Amino acid sequence: MKHVLYTGAAALALTAGMASAEQVTVFGPWLGPDQENVEKVLGAFAAASGHDVRYVGSDSFEQQIMVDAEAGSAPNVGVFPQPGLAADMASRGFLTPLADGTGDWIRDNYAAGQSWVDLGTYADENGADQLYGFFYKVDVKSLVWYSPENFEDAGYDVPETMEELKALTDQIVADGETPWCIGLGSGGATGWPATDWVEEMMLRTQPPEVYDMWVSNEMAFTDEKVVAAIDEFGAFARNDDYVAGGAGVVASTDFRDSPKGLFSSPPQCYMHRQASFIPAFFPEDTVVGEDADFFYFPAYEGQDLGKPVLGAGTLWAITNDSQGAHDLIKFLQTTEAHEIWMELGGFLTPLKGVDNSKFSDPATAKMNDILLGATTFRFDGSDLMPGGVGAGSFWTGMVDYAGGKPAAEVAAEIQESWDALK
Amino acid sequence: MDNIAGSKAGLSWAVHISVALLVFLWLFPTVGLFVSSFRTADQIATSGWWKAMFPSEQNQTIRAASPETQIEQNGMFVIEGNLFENGSGAEISVWGISSRAIDAFTPGETAELRRGGTITVQADGAYRMENAEAFEGTRGQRVFVTAKTPPEFTLGNYDTVLGKDVARNMIIYAIAAAVFFFVLRFLFRGHDSTLAGIIPGAGAVILLILLALVFGLSSGAVEGAQTTDDMAGAFFSTLTVTIPATIIPIVIAAFAAYALAWMDFPGRALLIAAVVALLVVPLQLALIPLLKLHLGVGIGKGYLGIWLAHTGFGLPLAIYLLRNYMVGLPRDIIECAKVDGATDFQIFVRIILPLSFPALASFAIFQFLWTWNDLLVAKVFLIDATGETTVMTNAIVELLGTRGGNWEILATAAFVSIAVPLVVFFAMQKYLVRGLLAGSVK
Repeated sequence: MKHVLYTGAAALALTAGMASAEQVTVFGPWLGPDQENVEKVLGAFAAASGHDVRYVGSDSFEQQIMVDAEAGSAPNVGVFPQPGLAADMASRGFLTPLADGTGDWIRDNYAAGQSWVDLGTYADENGADQLYGFFYKVDVKSLVWYSPENFEDAGYDVPETMEELKALTDQIVADGETPWCIGLGSGGATGWPATDWVEEMMLRTQPPEVYDMWVSNEMAFTDEKVVAAIDEFGAFARNDDYVAGGAGVVASTDFRDSPKGLFSSPPQCYMHRQASFIPAFFPEDTVVGEDADFFYFPAYEGQDLGKPVLGAGTLWAITNDSQGAHDLIKFLQTTEAHEIWMELGGFLTPLKGVDNSKFSDPATAKMNDILLGATTFRFDGSDLMPGGVGAGSFWTGMVDYAGGKPAAEVAAEIQESWDALK
Repeated sequence: MDNIAGSKAGLSWAVHISVALLVFLWLFPTVGLFVSSFRTADQIATSGWWKAMFPSEQNQTIRAASPETQIEQNGMFVIEGNLFENGSGAEISVWGISSRAIDAFTPGETAELRRGGTITVQADGAYRMENAEAFEGTRGQRVFVTAKTPPEFTLGNYDTVLGKDVARNMIIYAIAAAVFFFVLRFLFRGHDSTLAGIIPGAGAVILLILLALVFGLSSGAVEGAQTTDDMAGAFFSTLTVTIPATIIPIVIAAFAAYALAWMDFPGRALLIAAVVALLVVPLQLALIPLLKLHLGVGIGKGYLGIWLAHTGFGLPLAIYLLRNYMVGLPRDIIECAKVDGATDFQIFVRIILPLSFPALASFAIFQFLWTWNDLLVAKVFLIDATGETTVMTNAIVELLGTRGGNWEILATAAFVSIAVPLVVFFAMQKYLVRGLLAGSVK
């Protein structure tokens, strides 16, 4: 009996000694090339801390994380593409607040630090505000991709204003070609590219304050300003002459397939509006900056709204409390964690201390310039709305709209679903 | 005359047409996946799989070699090469150097380049660029060609999703096993019928496994394959899920069905009613509570959990199907055995099990097919955040995310996933049809 006790004590001592090195599971939305990149960052964390770090990506992150949290089998750290979803989970008590001092670090070290703290702060189940989310990896959305050689062949110039962009669109149609490639398909998230379009149009037709009111639903979805922005998107997407394949295929074309029209022979389209991550889906051997390039999705010259930029980012939150999870968040606050992914490409960061020469290519540096040149920066609105709207009725509503439903009707349905969530 | 049994029904042509239609409905996508899995991305983009056997007209954008490769010949800067890979057999009909005029020139003609110099392209893809000054830039000149490309089939897609050379090795081993099968069948021609029936098949399977173990299947991953492309790992994971998830419920259900059919105990009718009632409960109702239970008792997410879940979800139908079949067995045999002193266990093993083979086999096929194709139960009970477990259905869903535009990869992955159900279906279809009638016709 005594012998058993000693062995037990020895085993206990052994596990206590190993407590510093534990398994840390990370669950996120990244697959393919992005998955390899994030695994390199996590590999550096594993090497530095000694933890056993696992990453799993899924296309249906939004649904899977809810199932896991609900059942109590959540990973240690979740990488949320949408603050709205994280806020939902925080209010139900599924998230653990970040360590004290994290907020101060963000305020001090991130450009526009306070806004990143605000975006990561949600009410917990008792209604008290706590910092849950740490932003790492930012995307710029206000980009239009094109093939410089095709522009050169046809003699087109990069437009500087929305008026010029619309003139160019008409010019391309007059030349017998199709200007835009738009695809909304994305599995369970079909419709999200259209929400980006509407948000861009909101920022280009209304002041940022109105945008904020819209996102928080102080201004109803059915407001004529919102309906007008939806119709601005429709002016591009619902015009058979403007969209490759005709307006009918917009909703069914996969967003990953749609940029390929830029590179086909002959070109199916000349422009594609999409966020900074899209080159991952360009045909193999495409060199950004030579085969494909981008310009800022311009603002109306006639409206005095400056140069608004729409962006998004992923926030890391602790979904299953453990020391390793806190260590990981701590590691993300090092310059090293940001520079590793900067060198791998497709990574923008608001961290002020990073070495700008480490950006993988001039194209990424140019995106950073767009970010810096913004007079207004706003976070993707649909990501800030409650999950049921921003990752639900807004998506499906935009699919309906692309299918021909009137904007006012779609807006009324989205507002109805929002009311139901209140 | 029409209603006399045994005479030909007047509407037999309608039956034939509907059968032909059903066969076509099933064949069209299946053969399409199969053919597409051997085609290249370019071919899939330009023509449907039903044209796979014919040369296709393709529009391609190909870059000439970059200016770094230029050489100086007699005072002229020259870049030479071939637009196609060696021996592709493609024949250019027209070509161009601007995206606005992709058919401006015929083979052999010379085009003026916008940045100075000329380019000449021949029908077989050979080109020659000349310039009095050095070519500048880092990227090669774009050439738009319209070429007739002969049909091309490749195992490359299988290499990407399974590992290098796996498909080729499998084909070679399968041929060797088939030869071995016929040799054995020839040798055991005159012998006792059951033994002669088993040996050739078993021998061929053993040879196949031996060959795979000795010579190996894969020679490493293919360049350019992504981590999510790996279907081979997912394939074995799916097998690990499916085989116990088929065997466990059958064993339990067979015992239960015997008891419910032939053993007298109080409450039997109520139990049967309860089992039938459970048939109408959708499994989705139980997902989260059951997962909470698994986590509570320490099973967690993993193979044991999904075996138990599949067993639980499969049992009501299994018990109901097998009981109905066993009830239909002749009472005389069982009573004779009892008179001779057989225990219930002996009756079950010696009499009931062999006689119920068609019902057991048909349920095994059903259970195998739907656990093989299952995604929902696997997502909830198996796949966790460690990334060590996945199933093929899930691997294909994730593949849609990373390879959404690579139809050749998707078709290959899909075909790998349906290959085993196809084999099971063809090998055991007579039981499937018999099983469909199990319990319904006595």
